[in-house]
Amino acid sequence: MQARPAIVAGDGLASGQRKSFWRRLKANSGFLFILPAALIFTVFGFYTVVYSIVLSFFRWNGFGKFSLLPFSCQYPACAFVGLGNFREFLYQEPTRSRYFWWALEHNIIIGIVVTAGTVLIALPLAIALNRAARGQSVYRLLIMLPMVTAGIAIYYVWTFIYEPDGLLNTVLNSLGLGFLQAKQGWLGQSNTALPALMVVLVWSAVPMATILYLAGLQTIDRDLYEAAIMDGANPWQLLWRITWPLLYPVTVIIVITSINAAFQGYEMVYLMTYGGPAGHTEVVGLQIFKYGFGDQRQLGMASAMSWVLFLAVFVVSLFNLRIMRSRA
Amino acid sequence: MYQIRRSAASMASYVALSAYALLSLYPFLWMISSALKSNEEVLRSRSLFPSQVHLNIIVDTWNQLGFWRYFINSVIVAVAVVLGIILVYSMAGYGFAKTNFWGREFFFMAFLAMLLVPGVTVLVPLIQLLKALGLIGSGAGKVATYTGLIMPIINGGGPFAVFLFRNYFASLPEELHDAARVDGCSEWTIYWRILLPLATPAVATVGILNFISAWNAFMWPSIVLNNPDWFTLPLKLKDLDLQIVIQWNVRMAGSLITVLPVLLVFLVLQRYYIRGLTAGAIKG
Repeated sequence: MQARPAIVAGDGLASGQRKSFWRRLKANSGFLFILPAALIFTVFGFYTVVYSIVLSFFRWNGFGKFSLLPFSCQYPACAFVGLGNFREFLYQEPTRSRYFWWALEHNIIIGIVVTAGTVLIALPLAIALNRAARGQSVYRLLIMLPMVTAGIAIYYVWTFIYEPDGLLNTVLNSLGLGFLQAKQGWLGQSNTALPALMVVLVWSAVPMATILYLAGLQTIDRDLYEAAIMDGANPWQLLWRITWPLLYPVTVIIVITSINAAFQGYEMVYLMTYGGPAGHTEVVGLQIFKYGFGDQRQLGMASAMSWVLFLAVFVVSLFNLRIMRSRA
Repeated sequence: MYQIRRSAASMASYVALSAYALLSLYPFLWMISSALKSNEEVLRSRSLFPSQVHLNIIVDTWNQLGFWRYFINSVIVAVAVVLGIILVYSMAGYGFAKTNFWGREFFFMAFLAMLLVPGVTVLVPLIQLLKALGLIGSGAGKVATYTGLIMPIINGGGPFAVFLFRNYFASLPEELHDAARVDGCSEWTIYWRILLPLATPAVATVGILNFISAWNAFMWPSIVLNNPDWFTLPLKLKDLDLQIVIQWNVRMAGSLITVLPVLLVFLVLQRYYIRGLTAGAIKG
């Protein structure tokens, strides 16, 4: 054993087995600092993850008994089904699998549209914010407002906007664009619900992305621009040849966080549409939630689906990181 | 010529900024104005200025609908979460940054790996766990239920807090630590008396980020809390959905009560909030 000299003050006589044990303990006493965190992590993190993995191989409706420690699973409320849950929602059961793939499709659409929308709005906004010598902090504050607002308050404000006789329809009418109105409300019609939802998601995501871009812009050396301007570069070239490449790492972060949120998030969907009308805004996270806490509980199904979701998120993130790193 | 183009560009910047700021601010202005209107006027008029100011809506929401109670509940939950996270993970951050022990890197990576697991994955296991521990369900009192509510939130805030505290402690000069050791301070004294007081910026950053997310939390509390008296503000606010006659002014007054405290905290600690957001992304 090698004692760490910085921590153990050796007395030169430590040869006995006992002494060396204490020494070793003392050398590792730093572990005590992470002990509370490790305990909380073990119980509420690690244990629940293992539980979820095991549960995904069982069918359980939440009644009767399933337990991990000590293990028990009593038929008929609970039964081991192996990969049955996965098979069922991936391809075997027609209704379940159709709804799952449809939900995943919405996740993908949200991932692409919301991410693109967020970057396209946040980057110009951050550039404008960075230029604004006067009033920068006030503008930054106003732009950040949606970030700190409770989802439920956002929900109320936006439902009022989207109501059949809400703000959006009224404004369209007064502009003489009445034919564009969504008569049953923007969240109530199957053709407008998802786009309307994505507008709210972009509105909520832009502040964070703007702040990140602004922080990135502030690290760029101004001399680069001065030099490029001397060489006769136009603003468009400055953007494409200097700003965009230098902000690339920030864009990678934003894209990954945004896609993660699109696949994992479901709170806003839960609040605004609960997947409706007729499943047109259903996302995988919400479906998992419904299997776990809805009327027809299938807890094993919920776990199985959530691990497929995890895998999807993981693969997409890795893929993004690869592609974007190689291009940067 | 160049000057003109430059000032035109800066003009365009301000126009774009103002337009977006308005888009961002408008819902809040509408929230405030609706909380001051009669319900009939909210539905009829699109003006931001109430024809008559009804301050009684907010007062009634606070008193008669009992929002004061949910306000206190929210304060209890958010403060407990923040204190717990700061204490537990500043210790852990110190342990990872300033002490040596077997498996240090492994434990650190294990903490960070939890960031990858979607929250929805562990919802069902968490509820079963809390039931098994007697922290929720028919027999559980308010203290037990709140413990069950808070612990997983603390655990959820862990990875980021550990990351931030570790980096902060690692950035403090090693000499400080060595000098204290020579003077005979124990590791605990060094952490508690010397390094933690120096880490105020990290404490503020972790504190405000977690305060805001705990205050605004909706999904998890809505699963755990069954007794309406124990609701936090967002849950009570969602409950207004069940009104037969929708009172938009009451909804907006409730929203205002929910949003205002966070706005105040945010205004005061804005700097730390931004630092927290950019910490992982820009430097890391």
